[in-house]
Amino acid sequence: MSAFFSYLVGGVALGSGFALIGSGLVMVHCVTRVVNLSQGMYAVVAGLSAATFFGMGAPHGVAELAAIGVAAGVGFLTGLVAMAGRATTPQSSLIITFGLAIFAYAAESLLWGDQPRSFPGLPGAIEVADVRIQKQSLLVIASTAVIFAMLHLFLERTYVGKKLRACSSNPYAARVVGIDVKRMGLLAFGLGGFLGGVAGVLLGPLRPISFDSDLTLVIDGFAAAILGGLARPLMALLGGLLLGVAESMVAGYAKASYQTEVALVLMLAIMVGQRARLATIHAEAS
Amino acid sequence: MTPPPARAQRGIRRRLLTRLHAAIAVVIVVTLALPAVLPASALSTYILLELTAIVTVGVSLLMGCAGQVSLGQGAFYACGAYTAALVALHGLPTPLGLVAAPVVAALLAVTIGVPVLTLRGHHLAFATLAMQLICLSLVGRMSSMGGDIGLQGIPRLSVASFELGEDRDYAYLAWGALALVVVATRNVIRSRPGRALRALASSEVAAESLGVPVGRYKLAVFALAGGFAGLAGGVYAFYMGYVAPASFPLLLSFEYIVMTVVGGLGTISGALVGPAVVTLVVQALNRIATLQGMPSYAPTVLSYAAYSALLVASILFLPDGLVGNKRVRRLLLRLEND
Repeated sequence: MSAFFSYLVGGVALGSGFALIGSGLVMVHCVTRVVNLSQGMYAVVAGLSAATFFGMGAPHGVAELAAIGVAAGVGFLTGLVAMAGRATTPQSSLIITFGLAIFAYAAESLLWGDQPRSFPGLPGAIEVADVRIQKQSLLVIASTAVIFAMLHLFLERTYVGKKLRACSSNPYAARVVGIDVKRMGLLAFGLGGFLGGVAGVLLGPLRPISFDSDLTLVIDGFAAAILGGLARPLMALLGGLLLGVAESMVAGYAKASYQTEVALVLMLAIMVGQRARLATIHAEAS
Repeated sequence: MTPPPARAQRGIRRRLLTRLHAAIAVVIVVTLALPAVLPASALSTYILLELTAIVTVGVSLLMGCAGQVSLGQGAFYACGAYTAALVALHGLPTPLGLVAAPVVAALLAVTIGVPVLTLRGHHLAFATLAMQLICLSLVGRMSSMGGDIGLQGIPRLSVASFELGEDRDYAYLAWGALALVVVATRNVIRSRPGRALRALASSEVAAESLGVPVGRYKLAVFALAGGFAGLAGGVYAFYMGYVAPASFPLLLSFEYIVMTVVGGLGTISGALVGPAVVTLVVQALNRIATLQGMPSYAPTVLSYAAYSALLVASILFLPDGLVGNKRVRRLLLRLEND
């Protein structure tokens, strides 16, 4: 039973990371209709830069915040490129973000080499009724809860957040009332970079990050976000937690690394299931 | 501008048609002559280029004509290669392997396509990506498929007592396969189903209401593109002599997308020009990267950068690809459709 609980906590921590990446995908998709395939790359950039900042002697907190800042900047830049064309459709923007993710491979292996890197998180573990729980896992869960609460307040209670929601519900009407839709799109990309960066900094101590980790991260994030149809950040949180727990249980009990397959099959099943409930005419309209 | 009189237009078209035929003849002669003169290292690039072009013609048909994104085309290439390898290694006649490769890949495409092709746009893109990852990791776990080490010692292709032993033979084999694929695609594009595919690319509802069997046609074109990739994979297996999961990384599927987009989606000429241009650029960069004094990571870094920069630049600045850039495209299309 104690094994079950430690798998559960580990899974929730892992799922929190997926949920952060997934909510980044949701933000960008809501505002710009682009599925950002470089979303996993932000987490990789943040994780690798955090490792570098630690190497330079930065204390905890400073290094993480600086790394998240770098990721948000990278997010903003990818948005700038992905929406640069005069008439880039969401489809071609998707291919562009795919290209940018590969371009990041070049930059990352130039800066950090091709070996996976890790950095220290919160050391030690606590014991609750003979279940050993890593402190870092608790930190991940707590930070994710705080971030999601802040995201909710930002979207519901601030003017900028309301502008973002206006763009996501109807870009044309948003433009009519004087909202700069393009700038909001860039902001959404920056926010996506921020959320991905938080995920990278939190997950870095739990699993080593290398330049090509972004693919599994973005697939896990997409699998989390697809549960809410890429439209609701809170559903991405739920999806991420489910996925994280499922992966952790499979890894724990099946004693084999089938985690990625679990995510992939779950994602395919959800997508096909959602599609079966939706008539083609609605799918084309949306 | 008043349109030129019909007779003059016919004259222009006839002259263009002769020029087009002449250009095609020149391309055929040059590509057939190349294997005889190329040095060994360039010859292997040439063969791999031909195999890539076989896949990209399928990708262009699938993405450009029918509007279905596939980020996992490498899975079908791998499927063809493994099929050919397994047939040959079990002592069956090797030509059977070459025939089975596209058939099995097309069957795999049908099996995957039935659930997955109901998806559209980015859902389909992610689903095909997932499909390739699942296929690769399954193959990596199955000991009958050689696991992560792969299959080695695949015999060379031999028909009756004639064995294709030289690299040059494989260049001609790949050329033949490419020609077959190009002719087949040209006929599909010009036919009634080809027009139906272009219709369903813009709106499935509209196409369906005009009587196009949308589901069946999407599945058929997915299977056809998968079969093309499988054929290329089959030739690859006999040419290389070994196959392993690591030979078919996700990056391979990415390269197919880059090449097709750079050449121009939806045209056969684009699907042939794209791989040629991209391969030449990457080869040139590779030569620079392996110069003395360059760091050891230079080749990989440069090729990542080259592929992604070409892709992004061509979507932003040449949305219709190299072939589609000029007015020539409209004429070419008209000629291809006549």
